[in-house]
Amino acid sequence: MVGLSVGEKHFIQGGIAQDLRTDGRRRLTYRPFNVETGVIPQANGSARVRLGGTDVIASVKAELGKPSPSQPDKGKVNIYVDCSPTAAPMFEGRGGEELSTELSGALQHCLLGGKSGAGAGIDLSSLVVVEGKVCWDLYIDGLVVSSDGNLLDALGAAIKAALTNTGIPKVEVAVGASGDGLPEVDISDDEYLQFDTSGVPVIVTLTKVGRHYIVDATLEEESQMSSAVSVSVSGQGRICGLIKRGGAGLDPSVILDMISVAKHVSEQLMNKLDSEISAAEAFEEES
Amino acid sequence: MAGKSAATPSTYSPSPAPKTKRPIFQDVDWVRPDGRGFHQCRPAFLKTGAVNAASGSAYAEFGNTKVIVSVFGPRESKKAMAYSGTGRLNCNVSYTTFAMPIRGQGSDHKGYSSMLHKALEGAIIVESFPKTTVDVFALVLESGGSDLPVVISCASLALADAGIMMYDLVASVSVSCLGKNLVIDPILEEESYQDGSLLITCMPSRNEVTQLTVNGEWSTPRVHEAMQICLEACSKLAKIIRSCLKETASAPKD
Repeated sequence: MVGLSVGEKHFIQGGIAQDLRTDGRRRLTYRPFNVETGVIPQANGSARVRLGGTDVIASVKAELGKPSPSQPDKGKVNIYVDCSPTAAPMFEGRGGEELSTELSGALQHCLLGGKSGAGAGIDLSSLVVVEGKVCWDLYIDGLVVSSDGNLLDALGAAIKAALTNTGIPKVEVAVGASGDGLPEVDISDDEYLQFDTSGVPVIVTLTKVGRHYIVDATLEEESQMSSAVSVSVSGQGRICGLIKRGGAGLDPSVILDMISVAKHVSEQLMNKLDSEISAAEAFEEES
Repeated sequence: MAGKSAATPSTYSPSPAPKTKRPIFQDVDWVRPDGRGFHQCRPAFLKTGAVNAASGSAYAEFGNTKVIVSVFGPRESKKAMAYSGTGRLNCNVSYTTFAMPIRGQGSDHKGYSSMLHKALEGAIIVESFPKTTVDVFALVLESGGSDLPVVISCASLALADAGIMMYDLVASVSVSCLGKNLVIDPILEEESYQDGSLLITCMPSRNEVTQLTVNGEWSTPRVHEAMQICLEACSKLAKIIRSCLKETASAPKD
């Protein structure tokens, strides 16, 4: 994947051990990032996040659908990630499929919460129009435009920004249309409902290289990892999801240590992201 | 039949879903549907040699969850694959059409194959079979909850039965968070009500976690507590797996 010489590998590993990485960052520093919202006019909400050389776009489309019979009082959210061959030649054809499924699965895991809906970043009951009959289906699509490591964190941030940017049209239900069959609904063109995205978690991935772990690994650093733990943390500092990647085993105490570090880092990331999103929203309204 | 009310369905269905949905799990004090304690696992039954054609295989039965795993290889990697100095692991988890209460629901578990792969790859010494592939095929005969942990534990037994070199046996256990309680080894009914779940896959003798997933909202002390419970159960499960292997090895060959 990444062709590195033995010298370069040692340089990366040695730098991480000395808390000075190849691009001058410390172990727990993120690359500078930039958020743009409203990049896709056709979508209900969209955002583009650039994190160093990583560039991702997330779009949210809302469609009216039918709630699932098992959860009539909840809307549905689908997350899908596409890896474009423009990002790397290996994504061509079916090459990106494996990574796409892994990223989609991880994002669903980190953002959608448990089966009963507890801990979900998105409040699904706010998506219901008529209980058991009509609800909003949110289609969240992520696109990897350029990949330089740490895709999961970037996609998580882009989805949060896109959801903040999302406006769901207000729906009027025709009175007296109850009974069987689908009730008639009238979708408003100029009135929109905004989401409360303060509960949407951020994802922090800690990549273990050698004996230390780093945040926001670049592609070169990721090629040297033994394992990585992604933790999604909500604004209240609660853990909303966790997954581990990479084959090497970890000591249970190291994992608990990583969780507390991830929580600490997520606070800073959350603040930075919130201010970036509000700046981007203000900029979009101006222009 | 004609005398019955019009509401009678035209075909008979055994109605596997509970008729009254009980919100029992929210209380502090309730009894699990199968009468177990909160931190008590289901009785486990494990057996090697379930499939003759395979290099190694195992059958596991944890309560109603029934799983067969067979291991093939190491055998030559597919021609299209690039040369690799280390071995490859190929995992696949499938459900029978009758595994779930509603027919054909098993396709909801597409992610299980990659989860099984991630859980096992850390334990297998891939350097011991260069240029070749080991296939691990799991089939869930009946889904009774905690399917993935059972599949993973059974797969490690099958791998050991096939003589694939591993650093340690892999045991896997999950807990569900239901209201204020943590329940270990949840059954299907408990899983459908759960607020959160945590799955640990570990190598108990080395005290290493190969795979960990957390779902739903958790506080850090709770994650800590759940991990402790799981790790304890994992080491017990590993002992059962080990004794099953010893039994097979000491049994007279015919």
